[in-house]
Amino acid sequence: MLSFTLRKLLTVAGTMLGIAVLTFVITNIAPGDPARLVAGPNATEDMVDTIRVEYGLDRPMIEQFGIYMKDLITGDFGTSIVTTRPVLDELLRYAPATIELVVVAMILGVALGVPLGMLSAVYKDGPIDHVTRILSISGVALPAFWFGILMQLYFSVDLGWLPVSGRLPLVTRPPDMVTGSLLLDALIAGNLETFRTALSHIILPAVVLSFPCLASILRVNRSEMIEVLQSDYITAARAHGISAGRIIAVYSLKNALLPTLAMIGLRFGWMLGSTVLVETVFDWPGIGLYAVSSALASDFKPVIGVTLLIGFLFIIANTLVDLAYAWIDPRLRRA
Amino acid sequence: MNSTLLDINAYSLGIGTFDGPIHVLKDINITVKRGETLGIVGESGSGKTVLVRSVMGIGPSNSRVQAGHITFDGQDITRMNDKGWAKIRGIRISMIFQDPMTYLNPLFSIGRQISDVIAAHERAAGQGISSKAMRRSRTQELLEQVGLPAPAQLFDQYPHQLSGGMRQRVLIAMALAGKPDLLIADEPTTALDVTVQAQVLDLIKSLVKKLNLTVIMISHDIGAIATVASKCAVMYKGEIVEQGDTAAVLSNPQHDYTRQLLAAVPDIEVTPARLLAKQAVQDVIPAPQKLLEAVNLRKVYKTQAGGEFAAVDNISLSVNVGEIFGVVGESGSGKSTLARMLLRLIEPTSGDIFFEGQDISRLRGEPLRQIRQHMQFVFQNPHSALNGRHTIGDAIGEPLRIQTTMSRRDIDVRTEALLDIVQLPKSFRYRYPHELSGGQKQRVCIARAIALNPRLLILDEPTSALDISVQAQVLNFLQQVRKELNLTYVFISHDLAVIRQICDRTIVMKRGKIVEQGDTEQIFLHPAEEYTRALIESGRVTSRAARLRA
Repeated sequence: MLSFTLRKLLTVAGTMLGIAVLTFVITNIAPGDPARLVAGPNATEDMVDTIRVEYGLDRPMIEQFGIYMKDLITGDFGTSIVTTRPVLDELLRYAPATIELVVVAMILGVALGVPLGMLSAVYKDGPIDHVTRILSISGVALPAFWFGILMQLYFSVDLGWLPVSGRLPLVTRPPDMVTGSLLLDALIAGNLETFRTALSHIILPAVVLSFPCLASILRVNRSEMIEVLQSDYITAARAHGISAGRIIAVYSLKNALLPTLAMIGLRFGWMLGSTVLVETVFDWPGIGLYAVSSALASDFKPVIGVTLLIGFLFIIANTLVDLAYAWIDPRLRRA
Repeated sequence: MNSTLLDINAYSLGIGTFDGPIHVLKDINITVKRGETLGIVGESGSGKTVLVRSVMGIGPSNSRVQAGHITFDGQDITRMNDKGWAKIRGIRISMIFQDPMTYLNPLFSIGRQISDVIAAHERAAGQGISSKAMRRSRTQELLEQVGLPAPAQLFDQYPHQLSGGMRQRVLIAMALAGKPDLLIADEPTTALDVTVQAQVLDLIKSLVKKLNLTVIMISHDIGAIATVASKCAVMYKGEIVEQGDTAAVLSNPQHDYTRQLLAAVPDIEVTPARLLAKQAVQDVIPAPQKLLEAVNLRKVYKTQAGGEFAAVDNISLSVNVGEIFGVVGESGSGKSTLARMLLRLIEPTSGDIFFEGQDISRLRGEPLRQIRQHMQFVFQNPHSALNGRHTIGDAIGEPLRIQTTMSRRDIDVRTEALLDIVQLPKSFRYRYPHELSGGQKQRVCIARAIALNPRLLILDEPTSALDISVQAQVLNFLQQVRKELNLTYVFISHDLAVIRQICDRTIVMKRGKIVEQGDTEQIFLHPAEEYTRALIESGRVTSRAARLRA
C-alpha cells in the first residue's frame, strides 16, 4: 500500500508537469500580441516594445519556457496587470471560497446520491425509483444559471428563508482566517452565529452546483447496485443466513461504491470548472469569477494561474479516489 | 434416527413471464431421511438448481408455487416469511455453490466473511453476538475442519489470493458455520480442476460421516454423484423421471432418458474403434507430412506485482496432415493461450510457427489475413461465439464475404450447402442464435469455421459447454466432417475420455509446459507421469459410474 501511494504521488508530479507545459503552449499559440494587449489600445509602438522587453517576450521561445518553469517552481505566478498584485496572493484569497463551495456541494451530492441510488435499486421500478429518475434527469438537464435564479426567486425572494447571494453579509465580521473556509474558521473561532450565517449563504449555491453531480452519482450507484444485488456472492450471503438489511447496507454497498467513486472524481473536476456560472449567479467571490474577469480583461497571468490550480485540485481529487479504490478493493493493492 | 428430514410433496413451481407462467418444476416428490445423501443428476435447464434453491427460499423472485409443499423437519416451509427463514437459512439448511470465485465477495477478507455469518446466526438465535475474538477462533476452527492449512493467516486473506480448491473449502466452512442438519451442494466440483475435484469430494464425504450431515448434491457429473450419494434422482425438463438407490439407478436404469444419459458418457476404458480400423489399412498410410509446427513457443505475461508469468513456456510441437492432435490439461495450464498463438490471435513472446513449411510467426497485414483462410478456430462456448443480432445465415456467410469475392447469390448457395454438411435444415439461415439449442449453435460455429475449406481446425473445448448427450453427437459429427473434408484438427479438452476416443497423438500440459506427449493410446495404457495418471484416474471415476450395469 505504501509503494502504491508513492507511485501515485509520482504520477501526480508527472501530470502536473504535463499541465504546465500544455498551458504554456496554448497561451503562446493563441493569436494576438500579448505585449500590445498589455500596453492597451492607445499605446505607441515604443511603449509596446518597452513592455515586450520588460516581460521577456522578445526572447526565444525556449528561454521564455525556461523562465516560466523556473517561476512556477519557485511559486512565482507573475503579477496581475489589472490589480497589479501577485497572482499567487489573489489565488490564495479566492480559491478557498471555491473549494469550500465545491466540497459542500460534493458532500451534498454523495450524501443524497448514494442512499437514493441504493433505494431506487432495491425498490427497482417502484415509486421511489420513478421519483429519483425524474430527479436525476432534471439534474442533468437543467442549466445551472436558470436553476440558480429559480431557487433565488423562490427561497430568497418569495419565502425569504435564505440570503440571495454572497458569502457573508457586509455587516458580519469574517472569522480569523485559518483554513480559508468560513464554515471551518467560524467553528474554530467558536462563533456559532457566524457559522449559521455562513451556512445559510452557502446552501443555495451548493445545492445548485451539486444537482447534476447528485444526478450522475445516483444513476451510477443505482445501476451498480442492481448488478451487485444479482451477483452470486449476494445469493451466497443470503443462503448463509445474512439478513437482507445487512446484505444491502454492508455487502452490496461496498462493491457498488467502486464505480461511484470514479464518478465522484470526475465530477469533482467538472464542478471546479463549472463553478463560474454558479459563482456569477450567487455573486460568490471564488476563482471562477476571478478567472472570467481576468480573461475578459486579457489578463493572462491570472488565467494561467487558475488553470494550473484547477488542474492541480483535479489531480489531487482523482489521486484520492485512486487511493480509496485500493483501500476498498484488496485486488488493487500491490505488494 | 431414521426420521424424515425433508419432504417435498407434489411440488410445482411456475416462473411468471410475459407470455404467462412457465412450469419449471412439475410434481416433484422427494423424501430425504436424516443421514442420507441424495444426488440429483440432470442436464442444464432441467430445473435442479431451482429445486434446491426453493428448499432454501432463495428461488427466482418472480416464481410462484403452484401446488404441493415442502416440509423441513416437520415444519412447512413452502411459503415462509423472512423472519421464519432467518432461523433456518444458513443455520439448519446451508448451501455450497458451483463457482467458488463468484460466490465469495471479493472485497471482504475470508475471516470477515465467515465471522459475519457466525454473527448473523447468533443474531437470529437472539442470544447476543459473541466477541470478535471468539468469532475469530470459531472461524479458524471451521477453516481447520475443512482441511485448510494455517487458518490464522488465512483469516486476513482475500478470495483472490486463494486457489479454486481452497476457495471451495472456504465456502464449505461457511456452510458449516451454523452446524446445519441439511447441506445442499450445487455442482460443488464443476468449476474445479480434475485433481482438485477428487479432494473436495473426499472432504464432503468425510464431513458427512463426521458431522452426521444430510446432503443433497446436484451434479451433471455422474461420477461425482456415485462417489458421494447413496440415493439418486434423475431430473429432466422439470420432472423427476427416476429415483432410488444410486447403485440401482445406475446399474439398472428404468427411464429412457437415464439410459441415454448413461450411454452418452464417453468410455475411457474402451480402445477406440478408429485404432482397430487403422490397423486394417496400416500399409497404405503414407509417411506423415507436417502441416503445423511450433518451435520453442513462449508467452509471458507481466503480473501485477511486477513479476513474470509464463502462460506457455517453451512448447514445441508438430501436427501432421490429417491427424487429430489432442491437447489435454487443467484450466490454467495454458492450452487456450497455446491454441490462440498457433492461429496468431495472440502474439507469442518468442518462438516460431510454421504452417505448411512457411514461417507465419512474423506475418502481418494482408499475408496474415490470407493465411487465416487455411486455419480456423471453433470456440468453447457457442452461446457467446455467435452474434445474437445476426442471423445464422449471416454468421456462416461472414467468412465468405470477408475472404472471397463471391457474389451474394453464391454465398447464399454455399451457406445452404454448409448447413447441409453440418446436418441442419436450410431454413435455419433465417433464424437467430437464441432460437437454437447449444448443440445446434456449435454446429453453426463449425459450419462457419469450415466455410472457406480450411486445412486446419483448432477446436478449443468444443463440447465442454454442451450437455453430455449433445457432446456425443457433436463428437461423432466432427469425426465425420474431418473424413469428408480432409481436415486436420488440433483438439483441446480437459476430458480424457473424449481425447482417447478421437485423438491420434496427444500432449499433456501443466503450468505452461508439456509434461508428456506421444501416441494417445500409449499415454493411456502406460502413462509415464504422475500427473497424467491422476488425470486418467479422475476420468475413470465418471466412466465407471456410468457403466455400473456392465
